Amino acid sequence: MRPWTFPPLPVCGLVACLAGAAVVRSEQASAAPYHESIAGTLVGFEMVPVPAGSVVMDEAGGSRTVSVGAFFIGRMEVTWDLFDVFMLRLDTQSASSAADAVARPSEPYGAPDRGWGHAGYPAMSVTRGGAEMFCGWLSARTGRIYRLPTEAEWRRAADLASGGVPLSGATRDALAWHQGNASGTSHPVGRRKADALGLFDLFGNVAEWVTTGDGPAVARGGAYTDALGEAGPKGRAVQDSTWNQTDPQLPKSRWWLSDGPFVGFRLVSTGTGDPVPAVTTKEGSTP
Amino acid sequence: MTDPVTRRTFIGTSAAAAAAFAFPSGIFAQGSDVIRVGLVGCGGRGTGAARDCLTSSAGVELVAMGDLMPDRLAQSREQLAKAASESPDFASKYKVTDDRCFTGFDAYQKVLATDIHMVVLATPPGFRPAHLTAAIAAGKHVFAEKPVAVDPAGIRTVLAAYEAARQKGLGVGVGTQRRHEAQYLETIKRIHDGAIGHVVSGQVFWNQGGLWSHEQAAGWSDAEWQIRNWLYFTWLSGDHIVEQHVHNLDVANWVIDAHPIRAVGVGGRQNRTAPRFGHIYDHFAIDYEYPNGVRVVSMCRQIEGTRSRIGENFIGTKGRANAANQIFGETPWRYQAAARPVSPYVQEHTDLIASIRAGRPINELKQVAESTLTAILGREAAYTGQELTWDEVLNADQVLAPPEVGFMSMKVPAVPMPGRTKLNRKWDDA
Repeated sequence: MRPWTFPPLPVCGLVACLAGAAVVRSEQASAAPYHESIAGTLVGFEMVPVPAGSVVMDEAGGSRTVSVGAFFIGRMEVTWDLFDVFMLRLDTQSASSAADAVARPSEPYGAPDRGWGHAGYPAMSVTRGGAEMFCGWLSARTGRIYRLPTEAEWRRAADLASGGVPLSGATRDALAWHQGNASGTSHPVGRRKADALGLFDLFGNVAEWVTTGDGPAVARGGAYTDALGEAGPKGRAVQDSTWNQTDPQLPKSRWWLSDGPFVGFRLVSTGTGDPVPAVTTKEGSTP
Repeated sequence: MTDPVTRRTFIGTSAAAAAAFAFPSGIFAQGSDVIRVGLVGCGGRGTGAARDCLTSSAGVELVAMGDLMPDRLAQSREQLAKAASESPDFASKYKVTDDRCFTGFDAYQKVLATDIHMVVLATPPGFRPAHLTAAIAAGKHVFAEKPVAVDPAGIRTVLAAYEAARQKGLGVGVGTQRRHEAQYLETIKRIHDGAIGHVVSGQVFWNQGGLWSHEQAAGWSDAEWQIRNWLYFTWLSGDHIVEQHVHNLDVANWVIDAHPIRAVGVGGRQNRTAPRFGHIYDHFAIDYEYPNGVRVVSMCRQIEGTRSRIGENFIGTKGRANAANQIFGETPWRYQAAARPVSPYVQEHTDLIASIRAGRPINELKQVAESTLTAILGREAAYTGQELTWDEVLNADQVLAPPEVGFMSMKVPAVPMPGRTKLNRKWDDA
């Protein structure tokens, strides 16, 4: 069973074409950061190019070198400002648009943000499946493929973010919100120092979902709940039953982790930096 | 009972039960005897409560289930069967068969008529007083979800059920799981031991976004729609101050070790105006006065896109504390969580079942009836726009449910209007 699939969207053909083009064009040296905005809202975000390369992935009993194609990665973790457009249907235009065909999150019985607020704070407590549904909606909404990074892509970004050298504790402290400096909460994105790739909060703040094929749900980079040693390229948490232990319902929520206020996510795209018409945009959209 | 008197039926009969509980080493001791459980109300929470109950203890079996709606019963059985397929331990405890599954308005009576020792009551709260009364009359131990009633008549029924359960030596646990959560227990023990001096005031909150709702579907009678969409009808949920915020009000009563004596409040329905939201409010703010001048301000809201805050804060003569894990002031302290804390939703069943087996069954019905009436007092202060006392609400001539409920035509009750709505009212009063 694949509970996270959503109905086929008319946008898919277009997106597939864009993805094909992206493989060629994004390898050009001229790739530059680009800004994406959500039509009909004031919300936008920035994507940063990551050149192709190889990464060494730790595996049981050794390591493996994996090639990673060029891609774009979010400069910031996905914030509630962006997730709320999806969750609260702030973009609702017409019932027939492709984005409207995507299921929206259920209403949680409680406060996934732990009461810390939404403005600038990273979305958190969202299941990996819920994050993938968000990416599906965003892709339909913008006409460009957005998805979670693979673990190799996240690792590639982390290598470049580290500038090719092991990070000292002092450097990680400057880059990351961790147990020792976060006072027990997540923080608005972009408040610590930018890393060597120009990203913020890749290490610490909230851990970030990555995809692992059919493997377990994994979040990388450590979180504000982790000791400094975990808030870095090696930070790796595998979801277990404690992450939604106190969800009192059966079935437990597919969208929300009752005990996962330390996990969020960051977008990647293999689209180009060129602006692409948003296929679902219509006149008179509601902010 | 028509069964031959066995140890198990013996425990369920009132006169003998008191004697049995004088000998804690006997019935159910040390998990040597199986406790058979029935589930009434098979929604997401009821199904979860059944799971938590079976997970909590050895020697517990789920053997009977009942729900008003056949589809909800089927979904629940599907979920429990799935849990059983994933865990041999759970599979050994999930023993529900077709002939012990019941639907309809009398499903709870049929569940109670089986040879269960304990019943989990998890229907919409409006049905709880009748179900509690029947369960205790049938000599069953009970785990009931909160809240335990929605109106003063229901509270009086529940207080009578509390007394009957006490006299019969029956255990009654109620789903105020903070009472079984280590961090709350530790923190409030410190408050009671004087860590912040005398408590003089508190602030309690459950502000969040919206919750699920259902439009009336083709083929659903008005009553079926209201019951399926029960959050939005006061006769079923008590409104969100009762259904949800009761958790925080329960903490206030627990910390102060009293219930309020009067309240004033405001509330309204600013955002929830669509038909699918029935007639309840979407926000309340209440000022509660407790004995000795102690005041608690309560705030609850369910509106999308608004700032969330869930929790409690108490001010004492020597400091302040949240109730959950931290004390500030002369004796600062912070709770250190266990590496893998037990879910309080499981712990509440562990504690109830252990108390039954020990022959000293816990009975939480009175304290949660008081917490529920605290919420009803606040609701009525806001609905009527008047200052109301505990005693006048407890004794009010207010019955929010129709005299008989079936799959029938039923209007949506009027939205309460401060200044016009009366405390003493029936379900169909404007």
